Amino acid sequence: MFPAHLLFGELRVKSGPLCVALAGLLGSLLASSVVSAQAPGKSPTVINPPPTAQNWADLAKLPDWSGVWNPKITDQDAQVKTNPPPWNEAAAKKIQQMFAEEKAGRPRLIFSNCLPEAHPSWMLVTHNAMEILFTPGRVTMLGESDGNRIRRIYTDGRGHPEHPDPTFHGHSIGHWEGDTLVIDTVDILPQVPLAISEAAGLPNNGDMHVIERIHLADKDVLHDDLEIVAPKILTRPWKTTRIFFRQRARKFDIVEGVCTAGDLVERVNAEGDHVFVPVEKSEWSHTTAVPAK
Amino acid sequence: MRKLMKSIGAFAAFAVLAAGISQVAAHHSASMFDFSKTVTMRGSVVELRWVNPHVTLTVNGAVGEEPAAEWLMETTSPGNLVRVGGWRRDIVKPGDQVEIVFHPLREPDKKSGLMRQLKLLATGEVFAANIRDQERPGLE
Repeated sequence: MFPAHLLFGELRVKSGPLCVALAGLLGSLLASSVVSAQAPGKSPTVINPPPTAQNWADLAKLPDWSGVWNPKITDQDAQVKTNPPPWNEAAAKKIQQMFAEEKAGRPRLIFSNCLPEAHPSWMLVTHNAMEILFTPGRVTMLGESDGNRIRRIYTDGRGHPEHPDPTFHGHSIGHWEGDTLVIDTVDILPQVPLAISEAAGLPNNGDMHVIERIHLADKDVLHDDLEIVAPKILTRPWKTTRIFFRQRARKFDIVEGVCTAGDLVERVNAEGDHVFVPVEKSEWSHTTAVPAK
Repeated sequence: MRKLMKSIGAFAAFAVLAAGISQVAAHHSASMFDFSKTVTMRGSVVELRWVNPHVTLTVNGAVGEEPAAEWLMETTSPGNLVRVGGWRRDIVKPGDQVEIVFHPLREPDKKSGLMRQLKLLATGEVFAANIRDQERPGLE
């Protein structure tokens, strides 16, 4: 059944007065059938169905990814040189300039204004821990720094949205292949940087697509095998593996971190209220002066 | 041409954003510090600022024969300090005597550095502050 408005449109194109009258008649008939199709009794499409007991039980079959995962930063450092992205010519020039500025002690701010490191740069260059939660139909990644560092990966079989609404972390759908979580992410904001360090990265400029395979490589080692397609800044897809590790015997939980608090210091004002007041920062964002108490 | 202007415009906006703002909280590179120099200084704690993304410690101390002054040390985040060195918000209080190891800022006239280690002189306890030490072998 075609929607009534499409049929009306077709008839209007070919219309003379008689056809218009015919269209009106047909329209009335079709409209009544559309109304009947939407009559009470038809259940709406459920996007987030209530999980069943079996859904919860099935989570126990998934691999154990609990605990606090730390990024292997020395490997991030090494890959800047050993596995650079295939930047296109224009991007490569900008990256070289960033390297030069960093070497000269003037590191470019890639993650300014406390915006999220976003996807996939969070996975690529973070210096902070994360934890991963499994619930029915969902895998959720929670970053330590900033409440806005969160990835929601839908594993309930849905597809990507028909109408894109780009975000910092994009729209992620995943499925399990054995003990490997395969994630497909699209709809990432074009301003989101593809970063290889805290001082080298470029806006992806749109159409970025990220495919990941996350799996345990050892008892306490998690690998994220990423394939990053960023046609506006790369000449071909870039593959990299990022390593996270956990230390079971060390009792460390995720610590709340609010990035904008980095601009502030705790003080008590003249009224005796506990408040935050600004500190001074350099253009490279390190703190240069803290107001006296 | 239009494409070129567009890219120049985008770059200019980025450059302005990066250069002209005095207060921009961010996860940033530490290359403003001189990693070729490592300085040890003793002094008295003024204030520990336990904030993300970068903790700061203000210490009144002297390097070598220089007169004592307030030095502002920066280091990694609270979460990383907890994991790497067993830090807590309350390990120091104003007036505590400490010895700190740091890489100074490249600009020699500015009394600031990237802190790598803190030692409490009263107890001898040492707290590491190098984020990459989390990867030391033998840490389970």
